Amino acid sequence: MKTLRYSPEHLTSNRRLFWIAAALGIIMMAPVAWIIGLSFKDNAELLRGTEAVFSLPYTLVNYTNILKSSSVFGWFMNSMIVAVGQTFGVLLLSSLAGYAFARLEFPFRKTLFIIVLFGLAVPEQAVIIARHQMFNWFDLHNTHIGLILPNLSSAFGVFLMTQFFRAIPKEIDEAAMLDNASTFRIFWKVLLPLTLPAQATLGIFTFLQAWNDYWWPLISATKADMYTLTIGIASSQTNFAQSEGLGFLGAQAVFASLPVVIVYIFFQRHIVTAVSGGAVK
Amino acid sequence: MSASISIKNITKRYDSVTVLDNINLHIQDGEFVVFLGPSGCGKSTLLRMIAGLESITEGSIEIGDKRIDTLPPGQRGIAMVFQSYALYPHMTTRQNMAFGLENVKVARDEIDRRVNDAAKILEIDHLLDRKPGRLSGGQRQRVAIGRAIVKEPKAFLFDEPLSNLDAALRGRTRLELAQLHQRLGSTMIFVTHDQVEAMTLADRIVIMHKQKIEQIGTPMEIYQYPVSRFVAEFVGSPPMSMLPINNIENTENGVTVEVSGAGKVTTSITLPTDFSAKDAVLGIRAEDTTLVSTQEKGLDLTIKVIERLGDRTLLYGTLADGTELIAEDSGRSKTKAGDVVRVSVSPHAVHIFDANGLAYHSHMEV
Repeated sequence: MKTLRYSPEHLTSNRRLFWIAAALGIIMMAPVAWIIGLSFKDNAELLRGTEAVFSLPYTLVNYTNILKSSSVFGWFMNSMIVAVGQTFGVLLLSSLAGYAFARLEFPFRKTLFIIVLFGLAVPEQAVIIARHQMFNWFDLHNTHIGLILPNLSSAFGVFLMTQFFRAIPKEIDEAAMLDNASTFRIFWKVLLPLTLPAQATLGIFTFLQAWNDYWWPLISATKADMYTLTIGIASSQTNFAQSEGLGFLGAQAVFASLPVVIVYIFFQRHIVTAVSGGAVK
Repeated sequence: MSASISIKNITKRYDSVTVLDNINLHIQDGEFVVFLGPSGCGKSTLLRMIAGLESITEGSIEIGDKRIDTLPPGQRGIAMVFQSYALYPHMTTRQNMAFGLENVKVARDEIDRRVNDAAKILEIDHLLDRKPGRLSGGQRQRVAIGRAIVKEPKAFLFDEPLSNLDAALRGRTRLELAQLHQRLGSTMIFVTHDQVEAMTLADRIVIMHKQKIEQIGTPMEIYQYPVSRFVAEFVGSPPMSMLPINNIENTENGVTVEVSGAGKVTTSITLPTDFSAKDAVLGIRAEDTTLVSTQEKGLDLTIKVIERLGDRTLLYGTLADGTELIAEDSGRSKTKAGDVVRVSVSPHAVHIFDANGLAYHSHMEV
């Protein structure tokens, strides 16, 4: 006999899963809550013991200090420039390449696409020395361009956009051709707007990846005024933890996470779609 | 603004595979022509070649006096309605219809006028601000036709535009298309594998088979005088019954054929003197049969299946040797499966097909 969806056994099993998920959620969120708590406490109080986080009073002084004196705001701007620049660059290049691979006929198209796919299998560590040397020759270290350029050619982005363009029925292009639209106009006015879901997915991932990137900025940005947030915060943990205190560090971390949190809040539907491989609509 | 279309010696090959072989066709200005054929016969390819969406290997295409096969699709002066409608999903109905005109820099006032006029003709003026996702199948179809109309083309091309509609809507849209053709008087080419659409819409039907044109004719010519066994079997529902011929005797008014399992059938068909009965068949349409009493001459049919269509009843049965024959009776027929009935065949309405499928008809009125 078929088990009823809402049988007592089913509900018990659901309840058990709920408590397991809740416990895992609490374990994951505890450090985040801890950092947020620290960020609202006075540094002097925290020096006496971090259990002070559970008691009043709370203060905004760490946040006002960030805006007044620390380098965090500069690092934040660097991260923003790099993440936004990289996101727009990746979207533009991946869309153009994806359209070309999906729709245009040109010599060695299949071979070139396979070469692009190989890019997915090459780890960043394998090319980092060569890349470092190249950027050194062109004197691009410690520049925003130097931080943005290396990740503009996204194999994942090209692959994603190619697949998305391929999924659009060719009759749409053909209707536009019969409507006397040029190739560029077909791309720009007809097909590109249809790839918006893929653009959102790729944009979110690129932004988050660029925002959280640590490896390349660590190598390329050696001057403190060119640090991105990830590098800046890491350096303050060794330099300032004793002098400026845990509360200030907590506030820096919360400040650094804000854009990511905002991106998650506004685009969570697209993120769920992206990680579930388009199974959720 | 419509024009004639001339297709001259068109051949299409993909590497060594020939998809269309030396097609010649002239379509009159204002004519409604239907390309009809089974899947893979090349009818859609031919339409796409006229549209410019497929290149041609050999031959030429002219609209009016102008050769167009060298021009890009947008400059051929044609409009096409796709099977999937191919509307731009992110644009409203109005934007979908206006897009082609914007591309050729038609003035905004003129675009608005044409879009509003077409929308009024197609009764979609209340849908102009909706996107395709919020339209039903029938409404999308109208928008696709509207997008074609506003371009005021020299010819309309339709690639199986009714096949995504349900049966009731298909019937209604078919009628509306016929009315639209009368109203616009434009040259129209319509591709379908549905013979009802072909028979009801066409001024002339082009039957395609195995990469070639098998027959061109008016719907009644195609139905009553099919040039080949393929056309006879493809057009008409139920299909024409084919009875193997054992022997042929010449008579004063035609020939009498001896049909396997049924005896002699008199026809008014005149055959050439060198005609061979080997592998020849006698073709009979169900509506050309009549049930008669056992005292009269005819073929004895054992009924296997009965199909009641309301106005008529189709009797699927077998002759003495197992050869299948479909006969027709009135809608009030009392015949049951298992009954044996005697069927008479009009001598003027039968067809004979030789071993190569070539058809011979009686040219006397049925």
